[in-house]
Amino acid sequence: MASTSSSTSVDERERKRKRADSTPSAGAGAEAQPSKWRTRREHEIYSSKLFEALRLVRGGSTAASPSTAPARGRAVREAADRALAVAARGRTRWSRAILASRRRRLQAAHRARLRAPACPPSRHPSAAASASAAGKAPALARKAKVLGRLVPGCQKLPFPALLSEASDYIKALEMQVRAMTALAEVLASVSSSSSPASGSSSSSSSSPA
Amino acid sequence: MTLLNQIQTVRSRSRQSGSSRITDEQISDLVSKLQDLLPEARLRGNDRVPSSRVLQETCSYIRSLHREVDDLSERLSELLATSDMSTAQAAVIRSLLM
Repeated sequence: MASTSSSTSVDERERKRKRADSTPSAGAGAEAQPSKWRTRREHEIYSSKLFEALRLVRGGSTAASPSTAPARGRAVREAADRALAVAARGRTRWSRAILASRRRRLQAAHRARLRAPACPPSRHPSAAASASAAGKAPALARKAKVLGRLVPGCQKLPFPALLSEASDYIKALEMQVRAMTALAEVLASVSSSSSPASGSSSSSSSSPA
Repeated sequence: MTLLNQIQTVRSRSRQSGSSRITDEQISDLVSKLQDLLPEARLRGNDRVPSSRVLQETCSYIRSLHREVDDLSERLSELLATSDMSTAQAAVIRSLLM
């Protein structure tokens, strides 16, 4: 079947790329933590967690229906980010910040400000003195600030920690993109190959690329 | 040593010595690791790149990744709305097992 072979070829390519990525880093004895984002296993774990979360999103939206497209897209994005943060297993600041901010928002919404938002910011008062190496140029400091705003929860981090968080965050984001792309391929092939016999009046999109 | 271990070692060392300096060498090591993460199109594997350029490219790379995730979220939400969940689930599981 054309649909399954196309999704197979996507997985094949990804698997080959992942093997190529993971073997050099394993051989060089590089850090185990960031390169875990490249393993097939992590990809599978994330994909299944993501799909479960998306199922819940879909179930919720048919009931309470934020039926506007941007609201649904945002719900998907938040579910994907949350699943990514969980996959990090609490070892990085950006992942803790994603989970903490969501918890904060839920508390504010559900309790309608009956209680002051109780979650303390997850920032350690660490090493403010070592904030910058001696004589770091202002241009560099400015760009570091921008970077700190882009990575969740890393606004006031000292420079080296910020760089480390950013590099882990980038690797995680790349895995997120790979997993969501693969998931979209699978779902697209499903919805296009779902025959009229299924009965669902799916306004099927055009054939998968 | 992992990256995090390196940073922690630097921090504890500087606390012991009483100074809060992080060496430039440490910083440029971290920056070069960051540079290696950037896709080839954005000056990867190029030796003499100023750190500010690396930071700038890192920021724009993260922004583009965010955009990609947003687009994919849109696409996934549309696909989910119109798909039959049981067939979708079977297909996802199948694709993960292969």
